[in-house]
Amino acid sequence: MATPSAAGLGRRLRAWLPRIMPVRWSRYNPSYLEPEAKKELYQKPLEELTDEEREQMELKAVRPIKAAPPTLSSSVFSDPMISKFTNMMMKSGNKVLARSLMSQTLEAIKRKQLEKYHKAPENEKETIECNPYVIFHQALKNCQPIIGLSNITKGGKTYQVPVPLTDNRKRFLAMKWMITECRENKHRRMMMPEKLSQELLLAFNNEGPVIKKKHVLHKMAEANRAYAHFRWW
Amino acid sequence: TLRLICTTTVVQRKNVGASGPEKYTEAFIKKQIEEFNLGKRHLANMMGEDPETFTQEDIDRAIAYLFPSGLFDKQARPMMKHPTEVFPEQRKIQWGEDGRPFHFLFYTGKQSYYSLMHETYEKFLNVQKHQDQLIAQDLPLQKEKRNLAGSRWLTKIELEEMLLEKLSDDDYSRFIQLLEKLVALPCADIEENYIQKFSKEVPVQLQKVVIEPLQYDEQGVAFSTGEGKRKTARATAVVYDNGTGKITVNGTDVLHYFPVLQDREQLLFPFQFLGRIGKHDMVCTVSGGGRSAQAGAIRLASAKALRSFVTEKEVEFMRQAGLLTVDPRVKERKKPGQEGSRRKFTWKKR
Repeated sequence: MATPSAAGLGRRLRAWLPRIMPVRWSRYNPSYLEPEAKKELYQKPLEELTDEEREQMELKAVRPIKAAPPTLSSSVFSDPMISKFTNMMMKSGNKVLARSLMSQTLEAIKRKQLEKYHKAPENEKETIECNPYVIFHQALKNCQPIIGLSNITKGGKTYQVPVPLTDNRKRFLAMKWMITECRENKHRRMMMPEKLSQELLLAFNNEGPVIKKKHVLHKMAEANRAYAHFRWW
Repeated sequence: TLRLICTTTVVQRKNVGASGPEKYTEAFIKKQIEEFNLGKRHLANMMGEDPETFTQEDIDRAIAYLFPSGLFDKQARPMMKHPTEVFPEQRKIQWGEDGRPFHFLFYTGKQSYYSLMHETYEKFLNVQKHQDQLIAQDLPLQKEKRNLAGSRWLTKIELEEMLLEKLSDDDYSRFIQLLEKLVALPCADIEENYIQKFSKEVPVQLQKVVIEPLQYDEQGVAFSTGEGKRKTARATAVVYDNGTGKITVNGTDVLHYFPVLQDREQLLFPFQFLGRIGKHDMVCTVSGGGRSAQAGAIRLASAKALRSFVTEKEVEFMRQAGLLTVDPRVKERKKPGQEGSRRKFTWKKR
């Protein structure tokens, strides 16, 4: 394995190898912090920062920072949620295809909304949302479940226990449901962008199969309320 | 999954001091020190220098001159150092002539560690008592925050050297937790002297790297070079001032070389971050790696080149955006007994 030699920094930044080899590990030393690419945060003057942000800034001045991944950029078009969704749609590492599908989806959403906009009467024109990014974010937010189920084995039987979900898990489930729904329940000849845009618009209006799936999960959690005390964390 | 105790970036050295009771008596070490000083004066006389002002560097130079050695390992060559560096500090015998140990915690096995924990907890109780007194007298508690970012705690190796005793990872983390608790109290300034024994300064990251000044070519246009790498790709970039934003890669235009939008976005990232998109021209050469690796390498090279055009504050912002760090991620090796780096062979029941 190549040891990258950072010029002039000696042995300190050698590619870090831990003493015990864990299953999930990274080539960065654990003291490295995540990079922050948004320009606006750096242009804020000192006075407007809260105490926490000041501490964070001081910490960042001392600790080394990881390199920005190829998906991260300071341009207005890069969005962390969209990149995550693109990565989940990707198959066998074909990022080019996944990205083109994503851009075609956003284009299709824009086209549909513009059609609706031009056909609508004057007073309803303001209520129609045309920005595909806003629609995407709102749709995924509507699909996020609030509570999840987890299998807990007690006394030989496995029960489905209602359990709170972290933010990351909620986002992941929403995206996963959306993608599986679009891959399975579509006509053989229909293209993915078309189907995805359809589903996203339905989810934006709180309709559609993904929202139904979320409601089913909530009902199951409500039904199994009696087992909620099995959870110990 | 295994639980990993994380260490800081400080180099890890072997600690010899905690290996056992002393193998060299005090009298022996004293004699060695006398012999060393005598030998130093003789050496100074031999070299024709003043014995009083003969430093360690002069000794090293003299030895290298008198005993030239072609051995590769520096540790194997003849050396003359002060006995405290050659014979590592080791613990003296812990019990007297009658066999009775001196320290009351000797039979715990880790006497220095437990006595340290006791001392630290004593300080902790002191601070709490002081705090209670202040509250009883209705005086405000001191709120001057210690600068946490500029200092780090001692590593396990350093603590072992200080105590001359082996510690386990668990012990070390317990001690650090106790120190953190102590520091978190508002009136911890009283015990500042004690706490400083266990903390070290961490210098600000930016001061380590030297930024090169701008160079000027024949027409008087300022330019600067930078080198970058990612996986197996190596790139050099030359960024010219007063440009139109044209980018040339290996003699071809950037649109022809990188047909994918993501790569071009990466090339423009440093310029877009600094707000200098139409102001610079770039000519780069890149070899090795794949499509994305070459883009990453050129991004790093251009960010390094842009450092010379920009103020120190903006360089710090670039570093915090992750533009100036070399990406250490490379392809993981394939292991024997597995099909790939992580994928195992198909499990067959029989």
